[in-house]
Amino acid sequence: MGGLIRLVIFGFLALSVIYVVVSLYSRSVRREKLENSWDEDHPDGGDESARNAYIEAGMHAYETGLRRKLIVLVYIVPAVAAAVLIYLVN
Amino acid sequence: MLTYIKWTFRIVLWTSLFALAHYTLPQHDVVRVVNTYQERQDLGDWTRIFWAQPDDQSANLQNRDVQFIQTVRKKTWLLGFYQTGGEEPMVFRNEDTGWSWPFYFKFDTANLQTEADDLRSVKENPEWAVMTHYGWRNELWSVFPNAVAIRPVESADVTVIPWFNIFFFVFLAVALAFARAAWRQFRERMVDPAVEDASESWDEMSERVNERRGRFRRWLDTWRSKK
Repeated sequence: MGGLIRLVIFGFLALSVIYVVVSLYSRSVRREKLENSWDEDHPDGGDESARNAYIEAGMHAYETGLRRKLIVLVYIVPAVAAAVLIYLVN
Repeated sequence: MLTYIKWTFRIVLWTSLFALAHYTLPQHDVVRVVNTYQERQDLGDWTRIFWAQPDDQSANLQNRDVQFIQTVRKKTWLLGFYQTGGEEPMVFRNEDTGWSWPFYFKFDTANLQTEADDLRSVKENPEWAVMTHYGWRNELWSVFPNAVAIRPVESADVTVIPWFNIFFFVFLAVALAFARAAWRQFRERMVDPAVEDASESWDEMSERVNERRGRFRRWLDTWRSKK
């Protein structure tokens, strides 16, 4: 039983590190995409505050969107994989 | 000299990684079960690392009973992908891995022993089976691979597709690709702008210093006698 608890604790810690890295990466990629799409539509650079507003609106849509929530799969997939493995091996 | 160090480092690193994968990942042997037995094993020395840790209390035991499965297996080469035609004895240990490393989550040792017993056959009338296992056999240190599963097959001439290993290496490649992408994104968005900022402010500062120095020199020049 102690082994299970240890595995759950350390697994949770490791997956949390991965979760944080993945969400930072995903957010960064989204912001870059928004910047690039603004720059494409406004080759001259456009209005600085309008640009900021556009990016912030896009980031808000991301924060509340489905894609961000999908990162929770970082926790779910390994847990399911372990469960499947336990079932298959035994 | 540096090249030697670099190459030594690389070779050691890749050999260790290969050895780790070769020890830990599942492999398949075509075997005929001859017998099973149980034997007290001493766990006091460094070869302890080659025995599993079925549960928490086993961590402190100096010795315990371990179940074994004696088989005759088809000889193979190239990581078990090709049968060479010969046969050789192979003895597997049969231990739970429990919740600890390597993560096979194996708890059915007793059942596996029963299945192995059920598959026992004689040379004249062999019943072949595919044994999934991990680990190495070393006679010198009495190291045994750990049996994970056994299933009977029609004939000894079977092709086993290592689905788990395929999946594992694909996953590993994806994970490495992600780590690389994340690192590049981090550099592009965080490190490079910071470095740019720093070098910009450095330029500004040195410009200011130059200007000061110029002013100071001009001031000095005012003391010189004019020709």
